[in-house]
Amino acid sequence: MSIHILGIRHHGPGSARNVKTFLERLQPDMILVEGPQEGDDLLRWSQHSELKPPVAILAFRPDKPAHAVFYPFAEFSPEWQAIQHGATNSVPVRFMDLPLVYRFAFESEQASPAEGLESTGTPPVEEEHVEALHDHRDPLRHLAEAAGFNDGERWWDQMFEQRVNNDDIFEAVGEAMRALRQTLPNRENRTEQLREAYMRKMIRQAEKEGYQKIAVICGAWHAPALETMPKQKDDEALLKGLTKVKVETTWIPWTYDRLSFASGYGAGILSPGWYHHVWNFPNDDGTQWMTNVARLFRSRDIDTSVAHIIEAVRLAESLASLRGRSKAGLDELNEAALAVLCGGEPILLELIREALIVSDTIGTVPSAIPKPPLLQDVEKTQKRLRMPAEAGIKELLLDLRESLHLERSIFLHRLLLLEITWGHLQHVRGKGTFKEQWQLRWEPEYSIRIIEKGNWGNTLEEAVTQYVANEAGEAATLGVVSGLLEKVIPAELPRATEALIARIDGLAAATGDVLQLLEVLPSLATASRYGNVRQTDQEMLLGILQSMIARVCVSLPPACVSIDDDAATTITVHLHQLSDTIALLDIPEQRQAWYETLQQIADHRQAAPLVSGYSTRLLADAKVIDSEALEARFARALSRAENPAAAASWIEGFLKGSGSLLILDLRLWSLVNRWVRDLQEPDFVALLPLMRRTFSQFSHAERRKIGEKARQEDAGLAPVEVLDTTALDPTRARQGLPVILQLLGLQRSGIATDKPA
Amino acid sequence: MSTILRQHAEQLFAAELEELKKNDADKRPPNWLMSPQAVVTYLMGGKLKNGFEVSPKYIGNRRLIEIAVATLTTDRALLLYGLPGTAKSWVSEHLAAAISGDSTMIIQGTAGTSEESVRYGWNYARLLAEGPSEKALVETPVMKGMKAGKIVRLEELTRIGSDVQDTLITILSEKTLPVPELSMEVQAVKGFNLIATANNRDKGVNELSGALKRRFNTVILPLPDSMEEEIDIVRRRVQSFEKIMELPAEPPAVAEIKRIVTIFRELRAGVTLDGKTKLKVPSGTLSTAEAISVVNSGMAMAAYFGDGTLKAPDLAAGIVGAVVKDPVQDKIVWQEYLETVVKPRDEWKDIYRACRDLGI
Repeated sequence: MSIHILGIRHHGPGSARNVKTFLERLQPDMILVEGPQEGDDLLRWSQHSELKPPVAILAFRPDKPAHAVFYPFAEFSPEWQAIQHGATNSVPVRFMDLPLVYRFAFESEQASPAEGLESTGTPPVEEEHVEALHDHRDPLRHLAEAAGFNDGERWWDQMFEQRVNNDDIFEAVGEAMRALRQTLPNRENRTEQLREAYMRKMIRQAEKEGYQKIAVICGAWHAPALETMPKQKDDEALLKGLTKVKVETTWIPWTYDRLSFASGYGAGILSPGWYHHVWNFPNDDGTQWMTNVARLFRSRDIDTSVAHIIEAVRLAESLASLRGRSKAGLDELNEAALAVLCGGEPILLELIREALIVSDTIGTVPSAIPKPPLLQDVEKTQKRLRMPAEAGIKELLLDLRESLHLERSIFLHRLLLLEITWGHLQHVRGKGTFKEQWQLRWEPEYSIRIIEKGNWGNTLEEAVTQYVANEAGEAATLGVVSGLLEKVIPAELPRATEALIARIDGLAAATGDVLQLLEVLPSLATASRYGNVRQTDQEMLLGILQSMIARVCVSLPPACVSIDDDAATTITVHLHQLSDTIALLDIPEQRQAWYETLQQIADHRQAAPLVSGYSTRLLADAKVIDSEALEARFARALSRAENPAAAASWIEGFLKGSGSLLILDLRLWSLVNRWVRDLQEPDFVALLPLMRRTFSQFSHAERRKIGEKARQEDAGLAPVEVLDTTALDPTRARQGLPVILQLLGLQRSGIATDKPA
Repeated sequence: MSTILRQHAEQLFAAELEELKKNDADKRPPNWLMSPQAVVTYLMGGKLKNGFEVSPKYIGNRRLIEIAVATLTTDRALLLYGLPGTAKSWVSEHLAAAISGDSTMIIQGTAGTSEESVRYGWNYARLLAEGPSEKALVETPVMKGMKAGKIVRLEELTRIGSDVQDTLITILSEKTLPVPELSMEVQAVKGFNLIATANNRDKGVNELSGALKRRFNTVILPLPDSMEEEIDIVRRRVQSFEKIMELPAEPPAVAEIKRIVTIFRELRAGVTLDGKTKLKVPSGTLSTAEAISVVNSGMAMAAYFGDGTLKAPDLAAGIVGAVVKDPVQDKIVWQEYLETVVKPRDEWKDIYRACRDLGI
């Protein structure tokens, strides 16, 4: 009987190759792999044709899905190769690490204060699988420094991963780690001790079951601890009294990007794409790699000839020999590519890094694997809508008039509501609300987020509805709820919409703050407009809008009284939006009520002059007051008795956004002109900044015209005659109207008259 | 002490080169005086087996020098590219000195560099008297280098007109220089290669043609990464200047160098080192080489006109001269910098006063 301990580096292609050859030679009858025991069940899928690495075993607590651990495997992971060997040769494979039922319990005992943090924020990706490497990275440094390297990782690569001839490699690894563990014994902690004790327990068990040749694949750091067996009693004492929690496991697809350092994995490998290459082409001298680089460059329209490749490979080889290496590594190849292919520009290296060194490969998982219901539902939908999870960035333009596209859009919007940001909605060029531009990029941790949200329901629709309803219940302000509503409408969730509308109604009735209502109204109106494309029932929404507008009409005039300048400016902005909203809804009674409200504000003596001026303007635009009434109001606002500052502010309100009215309406012009001329000098100086602010908002051409007009009048010239509107022939003009309406896309003439004059 | 104003690298560092050769056990490419490893050690500095200390010539990324040396072992030529004053010519001189023991095979590229100075010329008196013969041929450094198997240097490659540049293509790809007038050709001996330098800030440069570019491996020499690295470079170069010039001035305090490097780095980056104040950037490059020359001229000032110690007034003129390249725009940049950055710094009062006294 024999036990063979193979110390490896997780995700090391060299280690993987060594493990493979070693196992083929040894022909063991039992393989033990470092990994959570709960994963044993999943191993029966290992030969399934749809299980393609990179994949990960996901283990989570069903009661607390946020508490999860990933065990990623790439094709070049030694563990994966061991599992494959077992499956092809019908050798039993077992995971031997401390079961997660204990570890989770143990860890939550230790880290209970931090738990609150864990359930929110970024998805918890624990560095479980690579932590062995992480742990001994520092110790490796000692060996590396002794060998004259400045980096433990590089030293390991050079010593163990890039070798071609590896007869006694595992003995050498064991030897090195033993030396390290002797000099650095204080690195042990309780989790480590427990894990190693459990691994020993598993080895003993396999022995007892009568297996003759046992191969043990574990992180190099653990190798010495498994070779020297302490007394069985001691280990059992250690493992006694551990509490348990429930744990579930499943396979999920993983990406190379996630395996790399850059994505915040904590510990991982820098260059999964390169390792993939090394695994598939172990004898490549750089030619194959450089050809890939050249092909990549050509695909991006960077001219790269065969001669370039030849030169780059040669340079890489000279560099390797200069550094005393038997073979050009990634460093040499990169530097050669930089000097030969990129003309020294490091920016192009970044392209190589993204596309080749890391590469956006994603694994697949058989759909038959049992998974939490919500995850299953999402995956089924992905399949049905032909939207596979992909690692790279993918653009998707949806035409919502097609039912498949509409379903895709709904699907993406629903995921967004669950905070799964797989799709990012982009700005879409061109007009029309029927198009949506999405950018998709799948991250493996979305799987865990989906599982986490599984407590809200078993199908996506159900989960989102529940989740949104809950959010709405917790939201305290109208703004939050109406924001949610905007997001829910494109996700087509009638029940969630209902819940939100009810919530809005409740909040709107309770709020005493008319400003809050004003803020929400435009987005609600936009939401109701979406109903044109989507078949959401908008009756209810319209009802709410009407009641809200009614409330606004009642409480707006008092809200415009005795307010400071800032508040007045805010209100004018809202007035503007609201009057657009009302024009959009186009309900006659409502419009009437709105005009009456505006009249009240305009006539109110204590109303802020800015608001009052703007209300007058809105009324004039809508032709509710005729030019005579307008003139009267103008005269009143600018009369001598009035405080000049208030008058200026009124004018600012009235002229907000456009000065063409002044140019076109002679009577208004002369009123303003006279008012300015009659100002006392100190008043004029005091008002100058205010007036300047008003006029600076006009377009350049308007300002020039106004200036010219003022000068002409001062010079005693007759002002420029404007086109007399009464000279139009109404019958002929009317003949042109249908065409104009058609051009503007307006069907009813009612809207046309709402437009500003 | 030799009376030569500036000695070649192979003369100045003869002792180092000798020791390197003695201790060199690695394989040498044909016609190289030492192995590539030893060349890298010569440039980057280090301790030899027998304890001899080699001084660093290039302070910066070792990998760049490794790429450069490895390139010269292949049959591609080397193009050193970068801002003015990033030690391109310096590196090329030392590479040639270490590899061929001869840094004098040099062609200075200008807009007026003609084909005759790249390939070969004729001694017209002899040509007329004796007709075309090898004796009437005037050999250029390129031709000599090809015959002897040595490294040839070409300075400012991009300033040479495109038509002349392209005469290099045959030389670099076929390694041969045909002389049709004599129905002969010069075939390069092993060991021949070319180091060209070019800078990417100059106006009116001639971009390399695609065909020529393909014959070069490009190494971009960057500006120093860190403050410490830059100070180190300036200090070393200034010390070697003292050696050459035999100046009586006291060696410059690191503090003084640090101030100059700080000024240059800040103006170059357009922001103060603490990242708090944004600055306008002057039109000049403000390279490390210019910092070196400011300290050198300051030391000369201190030695001949001052009390022998390097003080702020000795440096002021040099700094202002380096920064203000455009009398109108740069002057505003400099004055703003002086008033907003230099003045509030307590320990910089002397520099502020000295610069104000210059009236610029």
